[in-house]
Amino acid sequence: METSYLIGAISLAAFVTYVTRIIPFLFFRKKEPSAIIKYIEWNMPVMIMVILVFYALKDVQWEVYPYGIAEIVGVLIATFVHVKFKNALLSIFLATFTYMILIQKVLV
Amino acid sequence: MTIPVLMGYIPLGMAFGLLLSQLLIPWYYAFFMSLFIFAGAGQFLALGLFASQATILEIGVATFLLNLRHTFYGLSMVSTFKNFSWKKHYMIFGLTDETFALLKTNDIADEHKENAYFIITALNQSYWILGSVIGAVLGNIVPFDYRGIEFSLTALFVVLSIDLYNKSKLHKPFLISLIIGLVGMLSFPSSKMLILSLSIAAIILILFKKVLEDGN
Repeated sequence: METSYLIGAISLAAFVTYVTRIIPFLFFRKKEPSAIIKYIEWNMPVMIMVILVFYALKDVQWEVYPYGIAEIVGVLIATFVHVKFKNALLSIFLATFTYMILIQKVLV
Repeated sequence: MTIPVLMGYIPLGMAFGLLLSQLLIPWYYAFFMSLFIFAGAGQFLALGLFASQATILEIGVATFLLNLRHTFYGLSMVSTFKNFSWKKHYMIFGLTDETFALLKTNDIADEHKENAYFIITALNQSYWILGSVIGAVLGNIVPFDYRGIEFSLTALFVVLSIDLYNKSKLHKPFLISLIIGLVGMLSFPSSKMLILSLSIAAIILILFKKVLEDGN
């Protein structure tokens, strides 16, 4: 891959990513947040995070073997381990480890 | 407190670095991408686009759409950051999914917030840079079957969803986002799934405020 291509693409990606983060600070700078903004502040984050879970799974092919079994098992493990032990490391590690074993050794 | 992110970002950063090394891109690009872009999913997306020889403009547009969700994060941090000094410019730059989740789920007293948030952001970015460089270097020297390591991203989102749910006062937004996410995953076009689902979630949240706040 050409150096100029990589540098150009990385610079532009860095710039647009920063733009997505600075937008609200430019447009809502002076106003005191209204009740509706506070309500969004409190409730939008969990909705974004839940949707990101499904977003991360959007390219799974549910109709063909292995029917997303590895992904479902991985998400279930992450959920149950985290609800039970509240330990992010343990949840992420166990889920990812199981997923890797499943796709590499079991569901082949 | 940044330990959950450490545990998420190091393996995830390593997964990113390993993927980068599989595309035969020199390891120091992992360092520069994590330093200047600092967006987990966005950097994975960029690798996918590098691999398919997308144009620079396509990479710019796709990254913008994927990261547009950060605008929602910023929206909910405006009042918090308002009286902060120059440090807020770095915090705005570093408002990733994981940093945002941490800033939203802590119990730090108001007078300590500015310094604490700055340190949290800087620590998170160092974990991310460290993980991605380790991964990029390892991928070149250690032969190992790394397939599936990208699932750490999904697991991280699951863990952060549960943490945010436990912190929230209302339960209906969580249930609604499960439905929107499921429908979006199964029926929305892949390239527009994220922005469509997020827009619908925001619209429902605002339009049905009274219903959602009622009877929890």
